[in-house]
Amino acid sequence: MYLIEKNNVMKLAEELAKSYDLYGPVIDNETKQVFFNKVESASEISLTAEIPALPPKTVVFPQIERITQYKYDKVGKKAEIAMTYDDRSKAIFGIRPCDLTGIIVLDRFFLGQEFVDDVYKEHRKRMFIVSNTCVVPFKQCFCVCTDSGPAADEGYDLNLTEIGDMYLVETGSEKGKAFAEKMGLKPAGDEYIALKKKVIDKSISLFEKVATDNKAWISRIMNRVTTGFIKDEVWKHIGNQCFECGACSFVCPTCSCFNIEDHNRFDGSTDRLREWDSCSFEGYTKMAGDHNPRHPVEDRRNKRFFCKLSYSQSKKYLRPGCVGCGRCQWVCPGDIGLPNVVTYIRREITE
Amino acid sequence: MSNMDNKIVTLPEIATIEEIKEEIQDVKTFYIKFDNPEVQKNFKWKSGQIVMLTIFGAGEAAFSLPGAPENDRFHLSIKRVGKVTSALFELEPGDKVGIRGPFGNGFPFAEFKGKNLIYVAGGIGLIPLRSSIVHALQHREDFGRIIVLLGARTPNDLMYQNNIEEWLKIPGFECYVTVDQATADWKGETGFVHTLLDKANVPVDNTMAFVCGPPIMFNSVIGELMKRGLREDNILSTLERHMKCGIGKCQHCAIGRTLVCTDGPVYTYKQIKTLGEEI
Repeated sequence: MYLIEKNNVMKLAEELAKSYDLYGPVIDNETKQVFFNKVESASEISLTAEIPALPPKTVVFPQIERITQYKYDKVGKKAEIAMTYDDRSKAIFGIRPCDLTGIIVLDRFFLGQEFVDDVYKEHRKRMFIVSNTCVVPFKQCFCVCTDSGPAADEGYDLNLTEIGDMYLVETGSEKGKAFAEKMGLKPAGDEYIALKKKVIDKSISLFEKVATDNKAWISRIMNRVTTGFIKDEVWKHIGNQCFECGACSFVCPTCSCFNIEDHNRFDGSTDRLREWDSCSFEGYTKMAGDHNPRHPVEDRRNKRFFCKLSYSQSKKYLRPGCVGCGRCQWVCPGDIGLPNVVTYIRREITE
Repeated sequence: MSNMDNKIVTLPEIATIEEIKEEIQDVKTFYIKFDNPEVQKNFKWKSGQIVMLTIFGAGEAAFSLPGAPENDRFHLSIKRVGKVTSALFELEPGDKVGIRGPFGNGFPFAEFKGKNLIYVAGGIGLIPLRSSIVHALQHREDFGRIIVLLGARTPNDLMYQNNIEEWLKIPGFECYVTVDQATADWKGETGFVHTLLDKANVPVDNTMAFVCGPPIMFNSVIGELMKRGLREDNILSTLERHMKCGIGKCQHCAIGRTLVCTDGPVYTYKQIKTLGEEI
């Protein structure tokens, strides 16, 4: 544990920017919304900004990325093909615990199953992560229901916690420790363990008053989602509300379904693109020849919430798929963000 | 685990179409060889597995492997249906394609030893079963009766007719064929494929059934087999789904709690029943 004065904390980001492409929460000048963007200068980053509109999963899993490039000369019968990995070193500065949990979930899914996803692995290989404890919750937060906040327990190189006019800097890796030493940070005394706990307890106590938008007692329904003991009418009700817009998937820190499309270029080469996709789209499972095994919208909704809230899927993530960021509830035009779905299932609401 | 078994996981390996054979209308067989001799030598698959085939400029799609794992040429039999397959049908011998794989579980052949094998296929449903049939015939002494029941819309839609003629020379191989609509010169059976079950007097004890075909045929055949007393976990099929990655990441082929690319494509009917989707 180390300490750094509040007005010096951005020096950490400045130093990281020397050897990494730096990403952090930025309040956009034009729209006044928060985005987790690549910045030219550490000074653009705001550590007090609300959680960004899109989760920082964009850094490890961009909305559109080229994964392969090939060129086929049909006359000469010559084909060339190569992977196009993103091999930049990237530093994420000021990620919130919910979003960091999202990246941990993606790590376990992309790297920890039968196959390793090489594209994702390259994104993660040279990454430096600085997380930021939420000393106050935001209106939409429910990370206390999903065990993913308000402070991060793992997955970071450095973790910042604002305590008075200081930031407590915890190290979570050898890389983080070496960086803290290199920066000559002042060691923090053991009293800061208790001080940090006090800050977190206060943050948790504020949820009742501040984070009023959402509650989701997911532990109460995980068993029912897993075993399928949910009335068809409940899914039907949820399905009826769904606009099939895919927004929930796009803003979700753990949604990782993708499509792959080949995009032909003027110069005769082709970019193979990996793009975000959503299981709520009707064409998601449609096969050539017009056969679609998954029909009604409630089936597709059922799939997404199964992914977030079942034990079988949690086995892949080693935790529930929901991290309590509240974004889906924020963007859903049909008012069936995850917290509401949890409520519908708990109360068996069918109309 | 499987990452290590010489699978082509991420970057497609370039291969050449050596030969193209017309099968039936809109179905061709493409004999393919990897350009890299090392890859060609190490490319091994199990019956029931799939590959991801890249058609340059069009995209990538999943196809079942009809070749037997031993002593058979690497080939794909493909029906022209969508964007990728239409582009494939424009290709000629000498053209290049990309291959990843093989992926999927395949048929658990070790469990079939000493059993009767019944293959019931509708139309091009014979393609994913061919590998298993040839494998079984290559190891004829390991199995009881080997029966193929084949249905097609018309006599012109019967897959692998040359193959079947070859197989019929193998002692103890039984094949029964029926069509929905006979042509003037058709002398065989007419009717749906499940009507062949009686004609073949199919056994049910110590028997595995492999069923593959369009959903309506699938359901009627399964119904008839179960009526005769075949157990749900002795009926196998291979499922097809829209697939993008083949390695359990894109989630397009998610069905029930499973992914067709890594947990399938081979499922028992007992499993299929619990998946909660159409075939």
